[in-house]
Amino acid sequence: RIMPVRWSRYNPSYLEPEVKKESYQKPLEELTEEEREQMELKAVRPIKAAPPTLSSSVFSDPMISKFTNMMMKSGNKVLARSLMSQTLESIKRKQLEKYHKAPENEKETIECNPYVIFHQALKNCQPIIGLSNITRGGKTYQVPVPLTDNRKRFLAMKWLITECRENKHRRTMMPEKLSQELLLAFNNEGPVIKKKHVLHKMAEANRAYAHFRWW
Amino acid sequence: MAAPGYPGWVTRWVSGQWRNKKRPPALRPPRPLALADKVANRREQPTEATCITEMSVMMACWKQNDFNDAPCAEEIRMFYDCVAKAEKERKNQNEDTLSSRGNLPSSKVNKLLRRFPQITRYV
Repeated sequence: RIMPVRWSRYNPSYLEPEVKKESYQKPLEELTEEEREQMELKAVRPIKAAPPTLSSSVFSDPMISKFTNMMMKSGNKVLARSLMSQTLESIKRKQLEKYHKAPENEKETIECNPYVIFHQALKNCQPIIGLSNITRGGKTYQVPVPLTDNRKRFLAMKWLITECRENKHRRTMMPEKLSQELLLAFNNEGPVIKKKHVLHKMAEANRAYAHFRWW
Repeated sequence: MAAPGYPGWVTRWVSGQWRNKKRPPALRPPRPLALADKVANRREQPTEATCITEMSVMMACWKQNDFNDAPCAEEIRMFYDCVAKAEKERKNQNEDTLSSRGNLPSSKVNKLLRRFPQITRYV
């Protein structure tokens, strides 16, 4: 009888799957000692099943997949993925338009690769410190606190998505609005960057409470 | 103060107190004068916050440059380095060695004392 399992935990001896093709194409001599030991370990230990989101294709990008998952509503991955590809396409179109209209000397400065724009925009949106609620003597204070990388990425993506969902005209499509926001964020303008600055300003105003942290 | 040689008026005053029944309580029955096998439970003091100097330097830079990140890249990098170091330190510290303040928490001390108890009688 097959028992449906919601959470499953692998035995700690199971190793993570290696998906990148480049790591298997290296000849044996080029590997360092640790990599050789790793290969021998892999020959003996069992390996976890690769999750469906992990892919070895050149077109897959973990950040883009994470973003698509966050945009997805009620499990409609098809729609989210199509919206994402339309966004990237519209970014490319806008940048190409700018490129062809620009004079010769400015043509090199215009970035046309939508993936580069996406990553740079996300990096510009990431906050550097965050605020956390710490209760001391009955009162809750907002204490400036360093954030982990995951938390920064999550906040940047969340801000982008909420911004695009709420502050748009009823008839604008999501890809268009998202591409607009991404291009603004790429140039350090726009409402998401403003939100990040507001957070930084609050952290700066509360810097006196920084000693309430215990980690 | 000098040891048991108290001035004369002190001894006379103390014995006067004793006669008026203000004497210290006599121990009945007396406990064995030896160290106990446990320490009192003490609330552990929270450790200090890390990376405050880096953070304040970064904030001063922000204030000067209107919260842009480009001119402050060096300070931000230093802050990130400090945070990474503190995180690694926290992960690597073994709680069985002394903490940064040089004190062990009372539970650990009690465990150690239970392993090496006070010898109350010889057999």
